[in-house]
Amino acid sequence: MSAATPSAQLTAYAPRVRVRRGISVGFMVIALLAITVSILMLGALIVEIAVDGAARLFTDGGAVSVEARDGSIVSDLPTPEGMGWLSWVLPIAILLPFVGPRVVHSVAHGVVHGVPRVAERLMGLAVVAPVAVFLHILYVRFESAYFIEYAKAVDIDGATGNVLQLFGEASGFQVVRLVIMGIGLPLALLLMGWFWSHRMRKPSLLIPAILIGAWIVYLFMDPWFLSSYPSRSPSGAGIFSAVTGTFYMMTITAAIAFPLGVGAAVYLEEYARRNWFSRMIQVNISNLAGVPSIIYGLLGLQVFVRVLEFERSVLAGACTMALLVMPIIIVSAQEALRTVPPSMREAAYAVGATRWQVVRHHVLPYAFGGMLTGNILAMSRAIGETAPLIAIGALTFIAFLADSPTDDFTVMPIQIYNWVARPQAGFHEIAASAIIVLMVILLLMNAAAIIMRQRTRTDW
Amino acid sequence: MARNFFTVMRSSAPSSTAARPSSSSRSTAPPPPNMKEAPAAGVGVHLDPSLEAVRHDLTEDIEMALELREVSAFYGTFQAVDKISLPIPKNRVTALIGPSGCGKSTLLRCLNRMNDLIPGARVEGEIRFEERNLIDPTVDAVEVRRRIGMVFQKPNPFPKSIYENVAFGARINGYSGDMDRLVEDALRRAALWDEVKDELDKSGLALSGGQQQRLCIARAIAVQPEIILMDEPASALDPVATLKIEDLMRELAEHYTIVVVTHNMQQAGRVSDYTAFLLAGEERVGRLVEFGPTQEIFTNPLDQRTEDYITGRYG
Repeated sequence: MSAATPSAQLTAYAPRVRVRRGISVGFMVIALLAITVSILMLGALIVEIAVDGAARLFTDGGAVSVEARDGSIVSDLPTPEGMGWLSWVLPIAILLPFVGPRVVHSVAHGVVHGVPRVAERLMGLAVVAPVAVFLHILYVRFESAYFIEYAKAVDIDGATGNVLQLFGEASGFQVVRLVIMGIGLPLALLLMGWFWSHRMRKPSLLIPAILIGAWIVYLFMDPWFLSSYPSRSPSGAGIFSAVTGTFYMMTITAAIAFPLGVGAAVYLEEYARRNWFSRMIQVNISNLAGVPSIIYGLLGLQVFVRVLEFERSVLAGACTMALLVMPIIIVSAQEALRTVPPSMREAAYAVGATRWQVVRHHVLPYAFGGMLTGNILAMSRAIGETAPLIAIGALTFIAFLADSPTDDFTVMPIQIYNWVARPQAGFHEIAASAIIVLMVILLLMNAAAIIMRQRTRTDW
Repeated sequence: MARNFFTVMRSSAPSSTAARPSSSSRSTAPPPPNMKEAPAAGVGVHLDPSLEAVRHDLTEDIEMALELREVSAFYGTFQAVDKISLPIPKNRVTALIGPSGCGKSTLLRCLNRMNDLIPGARVEGEIRFEERNLIDPTVDAVEVRRRIGMVFQKPNPFPKSIYENVAFGARINGYSGDMDRLVEDALRRAALWDEVKDELDKSGLALSGGQQQRLCIARAIAVQPEIILMDEPASALDPVATLKIEDLMRELAEHYTIVVVTHNMQQAGRVSDYTAFLLAGEERVGRLVEFGPTQEIFTNPLDQRTEDYITGRYG
């Protein structure tokens, strides 16, 4: 081939193409720490299995025995509801984002990209796998500890078990295990976070902090609070219907607002001529973003609840919320579209693409991460909105789950508002708990937005 | 027909009434004194819009890929290019040279209707392409761009795989043949195949600058255009990568008509068969000064300003 000749001559001088990131000192330190912790964890795991027997660790956490007041051991107590499957689902859910897609990807692309990246991923797996098993164990232990307290509270055969007992005084490895769990686990979570964020362009402490924070919140949380319906008594009340109502409404809101908002942004950025009409639309959108949310509520009350006869349903709430967040979605989607450099559009036009092909194949895919980020941020605003939903008449006492979009519903802020407004102190406490749950959901959504923004960013 | 358009009509130029030197005596006869004496500072004054640009005779009988007739380009009220008439010979490399801001890139972007994308941009005149005026609004700009490809100043591969970068144009244009072969063929022609054949699923952005630019050339070739426009294709590259692009241009000229804008005199001298020299006056309106075979332009410029520019005296 004639073209090969000049290339062959020049190969010796060709600029070296950087194939993969060099291993930095920081990365090596992290890797060493990670390996150390892995070994510690694995060792502790072997001890656990040797002492307690594999059967107890890898079945559900039901084998709780409680020392009764007369000194006899009461075993075979009924296990807390849902503990068996949850004790595995939770650690695996934490584990999967770290290794799942990555291992699949490395198997699929390993041939092309070479071995080192596979090794890197296997190392990640080696770190998180023991962590997941330990999460499982800890979950079982803390559930059991909680269950003992529960048994004491409801006075099952005069139960007097204590938490330390569950960590196995008899085994003699208590101190070792407590140190590992007290120091090793937070450290492991920190490393997991570092490992993960190292894959992004900017390593940050955000993810480790969120992981550890979530873990601590989880440890102190009463799981029944999440899975109970509202009740007359504060001790029996939960936010199950409020949480599900919130997610139900948010899903429909996003399904309505995201396509419409992105469509409007694409029209304004890619198609509309720059004239007085498009400028007027632009100004109006900016103004709509500043309208008080109660106004949207009144609009929703008249349009969706009364004229369209949606009644006080999830659908009416979702439509109102969609109107409320649409300006935010449009503006952020426009910003995302503007980050796609004109040279990309030109490149696509230059090979004979039509305007729609340019938008469909290039502009939209490149801007999609940014649009999704804006959507999540808009949703995190909507999730905390109360006023418009009060205006359209969302209920506060819902002791069932909505089956269809036309059912009655409640959401977390309204539930909190209702509890705070009650005179009993117990309701104030569960209101505070609900606020924490809402805050955690909000933080997670914002974190997801930040992560997504980092991961989808392209250096042009 | 093409030759007629090409013949020089110096007599119609008011500022150069002297008889044009014949081809045989051109190498020895000095250019007309009144042109040589034109001071550099007074360029804008001397550039009368009615002034015909100096053109050399074509030394070969050749078909024209494009013919520009009095092409003017405007951005809103600002005129960037004024009445440029120029032939683009088929299967040859034509270089557009001139100082910054003289309208070279604008003129190039007129050739495949790229200026349509800029709000307020407008083109007047006529660009003959296969018996049609491609500036005509009834001509489909998308079709024009498919048949007249473009490579940009800064390498701009899509943030997709190398394979997808090349295949995209063919795919949207309804290519139904063997895509793998098309991609391989385009990459081979762009002299990139040997370097990337094992990593076609790697992102185009992961390549080096020179490789990226060759990928862009492969992308332009893959839709099988007749003409390839290159807007300073090597200006963002190092000398080694530049040399590769230049070699590539020479090879591509066997099958394609190439129009290249360049700031680099040596590059124009090395790669092009024909050269057009553009210059903007004080009012920043670009006009054609001289057009002819590159050899002639570089060794025997007929216009004083061309000589000054080529020898680096101004610009």
